[in-house]
Amino acid sequence: MKCVRCLLQLQSLRLLGQSTRCSAQYSSLLPSASSQPGLPHSTQQQVSRSFHSSSACSKSRPVPTDFLKDQDGKKDKSLVVQKDLFEEVAKDIKTKATFNKVVEVFTKRDVRRRGHVEFIYAALKKMPEFGVERDITVYNKLLDVFPKEVFVPRNFIQRMFNHYPRQQECGVQVLEQMENYGITPNVETKVLLVQIFGDRSHPMKKYQRIMYWFPRFKHTNPFPVPRQLPEDPVDLARFSLTRIANDLDAKVTVYQVPFTDVSESGEDITCPHIVGIQSPSQMELLAQHNPSRPVFVEGPFPLWLRNTCVYYYVLRADPTPEEKKEEPYDPERCFDYPLQLDIDLERDLGDDEEFDVEDLDEGPVYAMCMSGQGDQATLNQWISGLQQTNPILGQVPTLFRLDSGPRDLQGPAETESGPRHQTDTETHNQSREEVQDEEAEEPRRTQGMKQ
Amino acid sequence: MLGAVICEQSGSAASKLCVKHMVTPVVLQAEVFPYPEVGNEEAEEIQQLVAPVEKFFAEEVDSARIDQEAKIPPETMNGLKELGLFGMQVPEEYGGLGLSNTVYARLAEITALDGSIAVTLAAHQAIGLKGILIAGNEAQKNKYLPKLASGEHIAAFCLTEPGSGSDAASIQTRATLSEDGTHYLINGSKIWISNGATADIMTVFARTEVVKDGVKADKISAFIVERAFGGVSSGKPEDKLGIRGSNTCEVAFDNVPVPVENVIGEVGGGFKVAMNILNSGRFSMGSSSAGMIKKLIELTSEYAATRKQFNRSLSEFGMIQEKFALMAVNAFVMESMAYLTAGMMDRPGLPDCSVEAAIVKIFSSEGGWICVSEALQVLGGLGYTKNYPFERYVRDCRILPIFEGTNEILRMYIALTGMQHAGKILTGKIKELKKGNIGVAFGMAGKRLKSAFGSSVDFGLTGKDGVVHPSLEESAKKFEQNVAFFGTTVESLLYRYGKSMVDEQLILKRVADVLINLYAMTAVLSRSSRSISIGARNHDHEVLLANTFCSDAYFKNNYLMTQLQKHSPENNDANIKKIAKEVLENRAYICSHPLERTF
Repeated sequence: MKCVRCLLQLQSLRLLGQSTRCSAQYSSLLPSASSQPGLPHSTQQQVSRSFHSSSACSKSRPVPTDFLKDQDGKKDKSLVVQKDLFEEVAKDIKTKATFNKVVEVFTKRDVRRRGHVEFIYAALKKMPEFGVERDITVYNKLLDVFPKEVFVPRNFIQRMFNHYPRQQECGVQVLEQMENYGITPNVETKVLLVQIFGDRSHPMKKYQRIMYWFPRFKHTNPFPVPRQLPEDPVDLARFSLTRIANDLDAKVTVYQVPFTDVSESGEDITCPHIVGIQSPSQMELLAQHNPSRPVFVEGPFPLWLRNTCVYYYVLRADPTPEEKKEEPYDPERCFDYPLQLDIDLERDLGDDEEFDVEDLDEGPVYAMCMSGQGDQATLNQWISGLQQTNPILGQVPTLFRLDSGPRDLQGPAETESGPRHQTDTETHNQSREEVQDEEAEEPRRTQGMKQ
Repeated sequence: MLGAVICEQSGSAASKLCVKHMVTPVVLQAEVFPYPEVGNEEAEEIQQLVAPVEKFFAEEVDSARIDQEAKIPPETMNGLKELGLFGMQVPEEYGGLGLSNTVYARLAEITALDGSIAVTLAAHQAIGLKGILIAGNEAQKNKYLPKLASGEHIAAFCLTEPGSGSDAASIQTRATLSEDGTHYLINGSKIWISNGATADIMTVFARTEVVKDGVKADKISAFIVERAFGGVSSGKPEDKLGIRGSNTCEVAFDNVPVPVENVIGEVGGGFKVAMNILNSGRFSMGSSSAGMIKKLIELTSEYAATRKQFNRSLSEFGMIQEKFALMAVNAFVMESMAYLTAGMMDRPGLPDCSVEAAIVKIFSSEGGWICVSEALQVLGGLGYTKNYPFERYVRDCRILPIFEGTNEILRMYIALTGMQHAGKILTGKIKELKKGNIGVAFGMAGKRLKSAFGSSVDFGLTGKDGVVHPSLEESAKKFEQNVAFFGTTVESLLYRYGKSMVDEQLILKRVADVLINLYAMTAVLSRSSRSISIGARNHDHEVLLANTFCSDAYFKNNYLMTQLQKHSPENNDANIKKIAKEVLENRAYICSHPLERTF
């Protein structure tokens, strides 16, 4: 009986092309097994059925556990140990390769994949640590840890009740984590799920729901933030400023590139980057600014780009109380046609499709900038840079209303000499993120894969 | 005439009082019916003029060479000068031919056979020297016109600037009075100046400081600038798509001293001068386009008759026939409109035909473009090669909707002038209506009911004392129906938009289109009525063309006016604006590619 079971397991493994090690171990058993007449191993289905029943048997009987114990020696299969496996295999280097290796070690260690549910849960937890939480191939590899065909319901009763609830729940959990990281499953995922749980299972339904919504939500954000933000602070500032300004005419100017210099006294002088943005209409507004009224440099204001926070400063003025001066109509303005009709009739109410918009008194923003250092001296450099294109700034009093608020939260680690705020990175708890644009993901067809 | 069309809507009483163009059909008859004629002597004069010019263009002008070398050869220029074509409208006492607008239009038909020559001549006399002609004083005329008329001096019109097309406020060129008050110093640069490199005399518009009621203000003034004054430099000739033989370049003025006596009109009065020049320069485009299409019909019909496919000549195919019919109708309508307008302008007094001229310009430039393209299509691939002149005509023709005021701007002019005119008459009535005056409302409702129940509109164009020949009765009825419908449409537009109409460009465009069609209908009705009555050659063909055009225009007008109604399902304006907004916000076509995938 024992050897029959071994054979069946071997065959199923072969069919799935999983293990090579096992086949070597059990190959000696083959002749005796094949010599047994009437053994139902001709088709995969039959094999699976036997396999299924055997695993059901194994619940009631301690035999297979003993058998496995014989094989693998003294391995404890507790949750703690699964975690240890990660620590063990990937002690220092936590990369995708080592993560994959851990998974491989687990799959090869035990042909029955004992404790795979615990292992998968542990692996899911470890994924961000290894930096593979957004890698679809890793998720697929993880799903591959589930034994195939075993949990597929065979009859209507099994189908009616929750067949292998723990395993199904675990499968759902894998998909759930994918969903949380905005990873769209691919065809491989689907094939695996069908092989593992069958096509009406809970994980499969979860998969279908994800596949229903994710493509539809992929482009809901008209202002997507790329997954990889530029490393260079100047590039990052350029990106952030164009994002805030959202004006195709706005021009980004780098007033100062960051560099380190050694002063005469031998000290390092770090010159922070200063990047500003201004659009032609802002220049026009600034040119019309009343020079007797001050303009303000205000900030820093935070801008979150995914997990990164950057700060920016604005040059603005108080709202002008004076009424808007409308240009008087000049009949000699246009050579070709009258710009106004001399008719004493207003637009009919029925055709007035304008919305009643309440005007908010908000001062004009003339320019914005980002800098590696938020002190007045640095920002003054920005203003003098602006002055070259906006001569009016020479006559207008400029007041600095700087706030050191957000910087205090960062603790004493940062000193004054270094860049005071470049990027504050915060570790987010895994919040549900929008579906990212997966450039890396190969587009595959699912048509014809429905089972 | 325009007034007539616009005002007819208001029915009888109000329209009779309309001053500008005289309103009721009775007066309308005097304006456009009968079709203007030339006297016998003038007809003879035309004969004498046309023959040598035609001969010259057939034998001496090598259009392909002009196009290729981007230059009109000096011998051709001399020939044109000898024919007197540089002073066609300059009075005889100044050495010109002193032609009327009608004869000028007739000659334009021939000069249009070469786009480069036509543009060079037009830049010289339709706008270049026009300022001196219409607003110059006697001394200026005596000094400049003789040499300009003989072609010894060439003129140019310098208005456009890099930052200013139609916008007078953005003209940067400035003329400052010298300290001794004897001359102005002009500084600035003008772009896209036809004849810019060859011109000796230029009409230049510049900003001048004018003190009016003690307040200093900048006003536009017009100056006669001789290249000989010094400080005038012209840039590299523009490399253009068409009319390559004509010279177009930038002209820069660097402290050019211009004596004060060279101011055209009065200082600060340049705006009016510019407007008058521009408005009077456009009417000849109708006959030019007609001349070109007539030539094209000759060229293509020969090909269509000789080329055989499936043992049938091309001329037997319906789709080819359609193209010829289209060209014939267009040429006919353009001709009718052009000579009607020219005839109206030749009437004694100073009739303001600027709207009519703008209508002619739009219709002929757009019709010309379609016809030239269809003519090329008849020849297929052959037409696309440089072995045939069609591709050159297509290129030359493309400038027509652009220069002398773009068609878009002229549409605004036509529609707004019309609306202004109607507004004057209808404001009182609409105000009563808005106040809830039941009497007025009932009156209008009654009128609409009447027309809805098929009471025919009758402006007296047909019938016993009608001005339209009975053969054209049906077309005349269609015209009258259009006019009546247009009346109610204009009224409701005024009611709905009032003076905010200025910003409703899509609506104004349709109003302008209807007006263009109506004017075209009037012109063909008038012309063919005359032809039948005097027994002109092939007048039955004219009747056919007129009826075809009128029924076509009738449906187009009805569609346009349906679009102008409130909540009309034919009207896509809201969507059009939205599409444009979304595209322009992104400055790109924003749809995802059909081959893109999301999963």
